[in-house]
Amino acid sequence: MNFPADLKYSKSHEWVKMEGDVAVIGITDFAQDALGDVVFINLPSEGDTAEAGSAFGDVESVKAVSDLVSPVSGEIVEVNEELADAPETLNTDPYGAWIIKVSGITETEELLDAAAYEAFCAEEA
Amino acid sequence: MGELKRTQLFDVHVNSGATMVDFGGWEMPVQYPTGIVAEHLYTRHACSLFDVSHMGRLLIEGPDRIKFLQHVVSSNVMGLDLNKAQYCIIPDEDGSAVDDAYLYSYEEDNLLLVVNASNTDKDLAHFEKYLKDFDCTIKNITADYASIAVQGPKSKDMLTALAGGQTLTEPMKNALNTLMMEGREVRVAKTGYTGEPLGYEVFVKSEDAEWMWNRLIELGAKPAGLGARDTLRLEAGMPLYGHEMGVDPDGNRMPIYAVPLARFAVSFSPQKGNFVGREPLAAQYEAFKRINNRDFSDITAVPRRIMPITLLDKGVMRAGMAVYQGDKQVGWVTSGTMVPYYVAEGEGLQTVILEETAKRAIGMCYINSDILEDDTVEVDVRGKRLKAVIPPYHMRVDAPPFARPILYRAKAEAKAAAAEDRLPKAITLLNKALENHRWRQQRCINLIPSENTPSRAVQMLGASDPAFRYAEHKKVKSFYDADIFYYQGTKFIDEVEQLLVEQMKQYFGCREVETRVISGQMSNAATFSALVDWKNRLDRKHDAKRLGYVLNNHIIKGGHLSAQPMGALRDYIAVDPVTERNAVVNFPVCADNIYKIDVEETKKVIDKYRPELIIFGKSMVLHKEPVAAIRKFVDEQKINTTIMYDMAHVLGLVGDSFQKPFEEGAEIVTGSTHKTFFGSQRGVIGVNYKPDELKYGLWETIESRAFPGSVSNHHLGSQLALLMAAYEMNQFKAEYQKAVVESAKHFAKCLKAEGLNVAGDPAIDYTETHQVIVSVGYGVGPEVAERLEANNVIVNYQATPDEEGFTASGGLRMGVSEMVRFGFTKDDFAKLASLLADCILRNKDISEDVAKLRGEHLEMQYCFKGEEFEAALNGLMAELGV
Repeated sequence: MNFPADLKYSKSHEWVKMEGDVAVIGITDFAQDALGDVVFINLPSEGDTAEAGSAFGDVESVKAVSDLVSPVSGEIVEVNEELADAPETLNTDPYGAWIIKVSGITETEELLDAAAYEAFCAEEA
Repeated sequence: MGELKRTQLFDVHVNSGATMVDFGGWEMPVQYPTGIVAEHLYTRHACSLFDVSHMGRLLIEGPDRIKFLQHVVSSNVMGLDLNKAQYCIIPDEDGSAVDDAYLYSYEEDNLLLVVNASNTDKDLAHFEKYLKDFDCTIKNITADYASIAVQGPKSKDMLTALAGGQTLTEPMKNALNTLMMEGREVRVAKTGYTGEPLGYEVFVKSEDAEWMWNRLIELGAKPAGLGARDTLRLEAGMPLYGHEMGVDPDGNRMPIYAVPLARFAVSFSPQKGNFVGREPLAAQYEAFKRINNRDFSDITAVPRRIMPITLLDKGVMRAGMAVYQGDKQVGWVTSGTMVPYYVAEGEGLQTVILEETAKRAIGMCYINSDILEDDTVEVDVRGKRLKAVIPPYHMRVDAPPFARPILYRAKAEAKAAAAEDRLPKAITLLNKALENHRWRQQRCINLIPSENTPSRAVQMLGASDPAFRYAEHKKVKSFYDADIFYYQGTKFIDEVEQLLVEQMKQYFGCREVETRVISGQMSNAATFSALVDWKNRLDRKHDAKRLGYVLNNHIIKGGHLSAQPMGALRDYIAVDPVTERNAVVNFPVCADNIYKIDVEETKKVIDKYRPELIIFGKSMVLHKEPVAAIRKFVDEQKINTTIMYDMAHVLGLVGDSFQKPFEEGAEIVTGSTHKTFFGSQRGVIGVNYKPDELKYGLWETIESRAFPGSVSNHHLGSQLALLMAAYEMNQFKAEYQKAVVESAKHFAKCLKAEGLNVAGDPAIDYTETHQVIVSVGYGVGPEVAERLEANNVIVNYQATPDEEGFTASGGLRMGVSEMVRFGFTKDDFAKLASLLADCILRNKDISEDVAKLRGEHLEMQYCFKGEEFEAALNGLMAELGV
């Protein structure tokens, strides 16, 4: 299981990477492993509002559906449309397969660093 | 998860990195590290192993075991033969399912019922309520045996390898067998829950579980978990208890007849008596029949039914989601997910399965019974209405060895034809016909055993005037059985038919012949119709009783469809009320030669079933049929039966080189006149009854079932042509028949020497007929046959007796008769064998060599020649404009 040190993590298993004042958001290695084969993703549209703690989309694996929860509030300025055709990228490259970029951030959930998130996952497992 | 039960393979799963979950109280692998999608796909293109040891295995023993099961399961247990399995449902008193199950008959004195793991205790408690009235016991042997499902197109190869080459089971679905593999006893069942046309479930003793699993992994199988098991069964449209059976999302119990499989799993045989749930099931069956006739006036007993559903919009359906039509909820999704599949390209048999994969969102739903196939609906996917459709099915398994995903296609409306000038089309047609004729007659080597080129004289006569006429006629008692014709202008054809009958009587060595039937299949149909009519001749006030039992060659063992319930026998064969299946039983074949009837075993079958009709003859035929031995047996045993020999393939071999059917004791011979015989394409029936015999009446019935029973117009051109063919045959048969059988044996030996896998018994040079069968590898028959056609050799791909069906064919069926007629010598067949080996084994282009060999043999043999004959033939040809 991989926990890159340069990222922050939410307890709902999303990762956040700050690029200036833009938050890049995806799902963690732990999340993709728990989901199993991802077969479909419901993406939001550019210009939608993301709200910290609320779903901005969902991913479907063979087994189940799971909400994508935004760790920040703000405007969705970019969506990784490539995932619509290749949702399995979330399994093969969870930290490369970003899902949305959010700017104009007004609120951020309490996020964990890599070590704390790894400990949190160990507990969950 | 400490209290969960574990199967014998628990450690193997954990060591393989499986994700273990609680499944009905068992700690089971839901997936392995490669994931569900990869496991699903590997099953479809290779072979997966599923640990199904958690399923409940209940052994029912004791004198009342059948009576008990007839009372508590839905199926007709009397219809379950030894070494067969059957699907059944365990009904409750209200006609809903307690569980569904599979019943296996491995041993004479017990039956094995396999139930869903999580329902085992509930099922046992349910059975306990009824058990006291029956003298039998239920033993839960779940822990004594492990069970592994081995599923996918490579499963047969892998298990056969493990069995050291032994035949696993008969190729039919639900066949069972017990055999030793590497010193261990293995019970094999051709069953499964993936829809794979090639799939087995094996039972081994608990201590052998790891051995079986590990050996199959070594042979190339991969493990698959419950996740893939669910997506595979969903794609195959198979119900899962708790989803498609049991309680619906509203909390109501679903009727058993909501499940399409109920149609096969429920029996109302009188032998079942008042079984559990009979009354509500009977009401459901009535509703089911109305619904299938699109009468929705009373569907209370089956208000909703299980149908497949395909999402048209993007998304994924899940169990429990509501299905709507407009504002009205019409049902629920009962199972749903996204399943992967291999993309295919090409049409028909040339369809190629690619490595590329895709996914589709499919499911099953429990939906109002008035919703039909192709109806569109909407599914509420977390508040969003997504468009969906009811397809006929998600997958088909009728083209083994692969399960084929069926992507939904809306039915196309037929377009009105536009006005057009057909002259260019007519000219193209003529040109193409010429091209085809030249190719087939000058460049092609035709080895289809059911074909022959007729002589020029036969062809010309077939095109001459009677071809356009009618000549209905019937014997009339008032005129001492003279034939009375209904039309004028028929004197010539009257004479021709009498001459033909005379020639065919001489040929067969029999007393009576009917030549008006225009195909071999019609010969059989007319004969079966006559047998039914004859059987019922003393009672015309009731529906006619059909034939039963009938003993024939199974279609997979080479029997022809014209003697099968799927063919000409269909409307004439009874249903056995005990088994509720067609009253047909098949000739047993020798264990060491599946192409040959086992006479001693056949006697036992005859003794048991007392068949009223015995039909010899087949279309994949290497051996003489044991007519004399069986005649002797039935005479000695005084068994009242009719022996018929459908000689379709070997009609041209009647004589010293093959068989003389009437001398050996056949009463009726049928056949087609264009396979080994020289004729135009027709049928013929011969019988050997004497006018003073009781069964002469059967002969008269056969005549009347030919006309007016089967034909009005009996194709006079080809009847005239057949007379010439009969002259040729009676004149040249001794040399021709000897050449055919000797050539076939020589060709078989040459093919073997060239390294091809020739079927049959080497001790008799593989064949006693015109046919030679070569195995080219499981499932590749169609591809090799296509390759040969591209190289100017026409053969017939054929499923051999241990294969599942024509798309799984590994055999090539070849016949030498047409090429013998074109003068092929033994040397020519040796050359041909070498060319075939080049093409089949080494993929060489042999097209020009074949055309050259064929070009050396364009003149037909075994037909009339000489100046006087040529002059007469040329006269006719000139008149026809040839």
